[in-house]
Amino acid sequence: MSLTYVRLEITRTFRNTRFVLFAIAFPVLLFLLQAGLFAKSGAPEHDAVAAALMVNMMAFGTISGAMSVGGRLAVERAAGWQRQLRLTPLTGPGYLGGKAISGMLVALPALILVPLVGTLFQGVHLGPGAWLHIVLGTWLGAIPFVLLGLLLGQFGTVDSMQPVNMLVTMVMGFLGGLWIPIDGMPAWMHTVAEALPSYWLIQVARGAVTQDRTASLATAAGVLAIFAAVFGAAMIRRYRKDSARV
Amino acid sequence: MEKTGIRKTQVSGVAAGAAVHLTALRKHYGDVHAVDGVDLTIAPGEIVALLGPNGAGKSTTVDMILGLTKPDHGEVTIFGSSPDKAVSQGAIGAMLQGGALLEDATVFEMVAMVASLHRKPMPIKDALRRAGIEDLAGRRSSKLSGGQKQRVRFAVALVSDPDLLLLDEPTAAMDVGTRREFWKSMYEYTASGRTVLFATHYLEEAEEFADRVVLMRAGRIVADGSVAEVRALAGGRTIHAVVPGVTEPVIAGLPAVTAYELRDGRVAVSSSDSDTTLRALLTRYPDVHDIEIAAVGLEGAFLSLTSDEIVTPRESEPSR
Repeated sequence: MSLTYVRLEITRTFRNTRFVLFAIAFPVLLFLLQAGLFAKSGAPEHDAVAAALMVNMMAFGTISGAMSVGGRLAVERAAGWQRQLRLTPLTGPGYLGGKAISGMLVALPALILVPLVGTLFQGVHLGPGAWLHIVLGTWLGAIPFVLLGLLLGQFGTVDSMQPVNMLVTMVMGFLGGLWIPIDGMPAWMHTVAEALPSYWLIQVARGAVTQDRTASLATAAGVLAIFAAVFGAAMIRRYRKDSARV
Repeated sequence: MEKTGIRKTQVSGVAAGAAVHLTALRKHYGDVHAVDGVDLTIAPGEIVALLGPNGAGKSTTVDMILGLTKPDHGEVTIFGSSPDKAVSQGAIGAMLQGGALLEDATVFEMVAMVASLHRKPMPIKDALRRAGIEDLAGRRSSKLSGGQKQRVRFAVALVSDPDLLLLDEPTAAMDVGTRREFWKSMYEYTASGRTVLFATHYLEEAEEFADRVVLMRAGRIVADGSVAEVRALAGGRTIHAVVPGVTEPVIAGLPAVTAYELRDGRVAVSSSDSDTTLRALLTRYPDVHDIEIAAVGLEGAFLSLTSDEIVTPRESEPSR
């Protein structure tokens, strides 16, 4: 793996208009919209609600960014670029590792912009410890989503990746409590949400802003670690099979 | 071909020093024998053309040399070591068939990225210059023509400064002019003693640029020799004529016939000595009419070499 490889991955990601819109602009705008709707200005609970919404949208942007690696993987597989890279000293782990690191890095803009907007326009005020908890927690919580993206990218074709990614993001977003805040969820939806990694990604950060409907950090991190292990194992298995086939 | 037999006996001694050394290489996909017993030794500095029709096993052979495909049987050594090792040392560069580029990256970015993965790459500017694409450095690959893309892939293949270049149908998407320029830049590169193995459909390219030609058909090597030798094999003319009452055995029995086709009394005979064939034909059938004699096009000659049993394999395997 080389720095140039990771850098080119990131450059290519930002050239993708859909990525910039969906993983950066969309979470910021949706946050402003939801905060305007649900957090009544002047109400005593305004700041807490805004902070909870902010956590949701940070998670959403992070997921979109992290999973963007899948599309590039599918393209490179279809184009024969992956085969070309196998003729370099770059190893399989190096190839996937570079993709994973770039996925983690392109998840950062939303992770920084959403809180910035929250602080500047929605009056979210948190201590340094809480900020660290939210940003670092959500960022590390992106790991299973990067692995999921890499897994899907090895199954999908260039044409199917977009709808597949869209569908996964929709399910994660709607049912996992990103777009419909868990605070307003009926009991059955809450049960469904608990089966999704996106729910647990929120739970990782939520403790820093509210104790309402919040699992412990250890539980949330543990569940995400299990998801990461499962996605990672499936992804590596698939890669081995795929590269042995050719 | 006597000569190739001699070459083969020398193989075991030079195997360690050979650029490419293939022994009894086989690869089956289900019932299809893609590569069915290939022995080949390429000395450092040789420029070898691998010729054959589609499905002859050229690409599978190339893939096995590169280590992208595992042989079912047989062995591949590249400069005395395994393909994987040769790849990790940057000793092999390759243009794969149908390999595309990254649509969202520029030419410079792609070449630089591949260079960064190798331990001792050549300067990126050199690679671009050698491939003749310096002026395209800043262009996205989605904005390149087919021929330009091939040259970018050539730059990607040679940026590691490899000792062995494998080119699988490198000029497939190029027009005649671009093809010439491509081979010119290739030639400049190989002047410094690099080994090149290229697979191609075009016999002209093999004649012009290769020291040696290896012909494959149905997964086997059917001819292997210098360009002059293979050109001699491929020489000859085609006689077209209407021959009333002629039968297939008679045509096949004519002297110097290498291939023939018979349809409604109309024959097309390929011959290595058209004068002799025609005299014999006229003696048997004085009423032959509408006679036309044409030099066999290179394309046709190549087809006759790769689709006939007349050119005998250099040695029948596999009882080794």
